[in-house]
Amino acid sequence: MSAAAYEERLERMWRSRPGVLGWVMTTDHKRIGLLYFWTTLVLFAAGGAEALIMRTQLIQPNQHVVGPSTYDELFTMHGLTMIFFFIIPMTTGAFGNYLLPLMLGARDMAFPRMNALSYWVFLASGIFVYTSLFLGMAPNAGWFDYVPLANAKFDPGHAIDFYCLGIIFNGISSSLTAGNFIVTILKMRAPGMSFNRMPLFCFAFLAASWGLLFALPSLSADTIFLFLDRNVGTHFFDVAKGGSTLLWQHLFWIFGHPEVYILIVPAFGIATEIIPAFTQRRVVAFPLVAVAELLVVFIGFGVWAHHMFATGMPTVTVVFFAAATAVVVIPSTIQVFAWCMTFITGNAQFKTPLLFIAGFIFMFVAGGLTGIMFLAVPFDQQVTDTYFVIAHFHYIIFGAAVFPIFGGLYFWFPKVTGRLYFELPGQISFWIIFVGTNLLFFPMHIVGLDGMLRRNYTYPSGLGWGPDNLVETIGSYITTIGIVVLLANLVVSYFRGPRAGPDPWHGATLEWTISSPPPEYNFAVIPKVSSAYANWDDADREEDRRKLAEGVMVLDQGHEQPVSSPVDGWWAEIVEMPHDSPWPIVLALAMAVVFVLLLLHLWLGMCFALAGIVLALLGWHGAEPQES
Amino acid sequence: MADYVAGGVPERLVPRTTEARNAGDAMTLAGRRRGPSVAFWGMATVVASEATLFGTFIGSYYYLRFSALHWPPPGTPEPRVVVPLVMAGVLATTSLPMQLAAIAARRARLWSARALLVWALAVQCGYLAYEIHDYVDQLHRSAPQDNAYSSIYYTLLGADHVHVAIGILLVVWLLWKLLRGLTMYRLNAVQVIAFYWHAVNLLTLIVIGVLLSVTL
Repeated sequence: MSAAAYEERLERMWRSRPGVLGWVMTTDHKRIGLLYFWTTLVLFAAGGAEALIMRTQLIQPNQHVVGPSTYDELFTMHGLTMIFFFIIPMTTGAFGNYLLPLMLGARDMAFPRMNALSYWVFLASGIFVYTSLFLGMAPNAGWFDYVPLANAKFDPGHAIDFYCLGIIFNGISSSLTAGNFIVTILKMRAPGMSFNRMPLFCFAFLAASWGLLFALPSLSADTIFLFLDRNVGTHFFDVAKGGSTLLWQHLFWIFGHPEVYILIVPAFGIATEIIPAFTQRRVVAFPLVAVAELLVVFIGFGVWAHHMFATGMPTVTVVFFAAATAVVVIPSTIQVFAWCMTFITGNAQFKTPLLFIAGFIFMFVAGGLTGIMFLAVPFDQQVTDTYFVIAHFHYIIFGAAVFPIFGGLYFWFPKVTGRLYFELPGQISFWIIFVGTNLLFFPMHIVGLDGMLRRNYTYPSGLGWGPDNLVETIGSYITTIGIVVLLANLVVSYFRGPRAGPDPWHGATLEWTISSPPPEYNFAVIPKVSSAYANWDDADREEDRRKLAEGVMVLDQGHEQPVSSPVDGWWAEIVEMPHDSPWPIVLALAMAVVFVLLLLHLWLGMCFALAGIVLALLGWHGAEPQES
Repeated sequence: MADYVAGGVPERLVPRTTEARNAGDAMTLAGRRRGPSVAFWGMATVVASEATLFGTFIGSYYYLRFSALHWPPPGTPEPRVVVPLVMAGVLATTSLPMQLAAIAARRARLWSARALLVWALAVQCGYLAYEIHDYVDQLHRSAPQDNAYSSIYYTLLGADHVHVAIGILLVVWLLWKLLRGLTMYRLNAVQVIAFYWHAVNLLTLIVIGVLLSVTL
C-alpha cells in the first residue's frame, strides 16, 4: 500500500458520524476541545457582560443602573463564571483537549468517553448555574461565599443552593478532566518520548491537572457541608452549635489558592510554546522551567491562609503562610527569567501571539509584585477587601491567564482552521486590549489604597474616587472593543484568511508536523521523538515519512493507540480506543437530573435518578472496546 | 525498517492487548505488557481524588474538635468502640480475596476468580447491611442536626458507607461480566476493582480510627 492508501484507511476507520449526531456522540479530543471552546466563549461573554454592567454602575458616584441586590448577583456570577466556566474550561477543556494528544503524538485521550462526559457535565453545570440567574435566584454572596452570610438564616432561598450544587457539579467535570489529562500525559505519549522529551506545555498541564485533582475535593467538601447546613440542618459552620465559620474559609482557600496557579500554569504552558516558535530558539533552562511549573502548583498548596490574614489567626500561623507565599515567588521568577532570556538570546519576531506573551509577562510581573506586597501582614490587613486586591488579582487573572489564551487563539488558529489570521488587525487588537486592561485595572490600585472597598454597589461623591473609576470604566469599554476586534479578525480569517499549510510558524512541537486542520486520526505514523522540539528534528520527520510509505508504525488494525510507560516512554502495549458513544451525554443528563432533584429536595426522586446513573454506566460498559 | 524500534521495543513484539478474547490470550498478552494498564492509572487518580476528599473531611473533623470545648458535646453519646473496630477489621480482610481474585484472573483461572469474588462480595454485603442497620440505630440516639460533632460524625461515616456501596456495585457488575468468560478488558477490571477495594478498606480503617479517637 502507498502512503495515501494508509491515510485513507485510517481516515475511514477514525471518521466520526456526519452531522449533529457526530458532535453529540463524539469522543474525538479535537471535537470535544472545540465544543469546550464555543461553550466557554459564550460563558465568557456572559461574565464579561456582568463586568461591564458593574463598571457602568461605578462610572460615577451614586449611580443606580442596578440596585444593590442585583449588583451582588452580578459580582458573584462574574467571579464564578470567569473562574469556573471560562478560564479553567478554556485552558484545560479547549486548549488542553485539542492540543495535548497532538503534542504527545497520541491519537486520543487516555479515556475518550470520559473526556466527552467531562464536556457534557461541564455544559450541564453551566446551564444549571445560569438557570439561577433567569429565575432571579443567582448566587449573591460573592464567589468565595463566606458563611455566615451564605447560610440559610442570612441568605434564604435557593441562591446559595445553586452555588453549592453548581460548584460540585462543575467540580466533577474538572476532576474527570484532570484525571484524564494526568493519565494521558503519563501513558499515551508516543513510544520513545521519555519525560525529558516532553514539551513544556505538557508539563504545565500535568501540573495544573495535579492541582485540580487535589484541590477540588476540598471545595467539594466545603460546599457539601454548606449544602447540608442549609438543607439538612447540620451545624458545620454554626458557631452556636460547635461549628466554625473559619472552617469554611480554610477549606475554601485550600482549594482557592492552588486554583490561582491552576488558572495561570496552563497559560505558562501556552507561553512556553509560543516563545520558541517566534524566537526560533529552545526555551532557556528547560529542566528548570519544567520543574518550576510543577513546583508552582506544589508550593501553591501551602499558602492558602494568606487570604485570611484579617481573620485574627495566631501570629505563628500568619508568619508561616507569609513565608510560604514568599517561597512561591521563586519558581515563578525562574520561569519569567527563562522566558526573558529566551527572548534576548533568540531572534524574537513580535507577531501577534508573541505580543500577547510579552504583554502577559508584563502583567504577570506587575501583578506578582503587588502579590508580594501582601506578605507584609500589616499592609495586607489594611488593604484586605479593597480595590487594591481587585487590581492585583485581575492583573494576574486577566493579565497572566487571559492574555496567553488570546495569544494561543492566534497561535493555533491556523492549526485548527487551516487559515492564517490577519496580522495587522491582530496586532491592533493586542494594543487595544493591552491599553484597555491597564486603564481598567491600574487605577484600582490607587482607589484601593484610598480606601474604596470591593463589592459596594456604589460610592458617595466627595471622596476623590470618581476620576479613577471613570478611567477604569473607559478602560473596560476599550478592552471590550479590543476583544471584539480580536474575535472579528478570527471570524473573517476563518472565511477569507490565506491558507496556512501545516506549519506556518515553524513551530517546535508535534502538532505542526501534521496537516491543518489535523486529520481525525492525528498521526498516520506514530512519530519518532528524540527531543522536546520534535518538529525541529528534521531527520526524525523524514524517517516518519519513509515509515508511512512502508506501513511501519501505522497501527491500522483498528482504532489503535500505543501506550507507553509513565517515565521512560517504553512502549508498553497497543490498545483499541472506543468509538463514538451516546453514553457520555446520557450519563451527564442523568447526573443533571440528580442535581436538579437535590435542589428541589425531592429525595425519593433523587434515588431513582441515581438508579438512572447506574443504568447509564451499565450501558456505557456494555460493549467492550474490542467488541464495538 | 521492518524491525524499527520505538520506545525500546520493535512494533511486532508489542502486545495488542485488547485483542484478547479468552482467558489464555489475556494471560499471555498481559504477561507481555509492560507495567499496569491505563485503567489502573485511571483508578489511581480516582483514588487520589477520593482520598483527598476524605483527607479534607478528617481535617475538618479535627479542626472542629480542637476548636470545641467539649468533644463530643455533653448529651451526645460517644460511639461504641469494639463492634465498629471488629467490623472494619472484617471488611479489611476482603482485600485478601480481592487480590487473590486479581491474581487468579491474571493466571487465567476463571472459576477461582469468580469464587473469590463471591467470597469477598458476601463479606462486603454483610458489612454494609450491618453498618446501615447500625447507622439507622444510632440516628435514633443522636442526629446530625444536634451539633457540629454529630454533623461531621454522620457525614464522615456516611461518606465511607457510600464508597463501600459503590464497591459492592462494582463487584456485582464484575461477576456478571465474568459469567461470559475472561477478556483483557475484564482482566483489567478485576485488577482495578481490587485496587479500589484496597483503598476503600484502608479508608474505612482510617475513618473508624478517626471517629473512635474521641473515646481515647
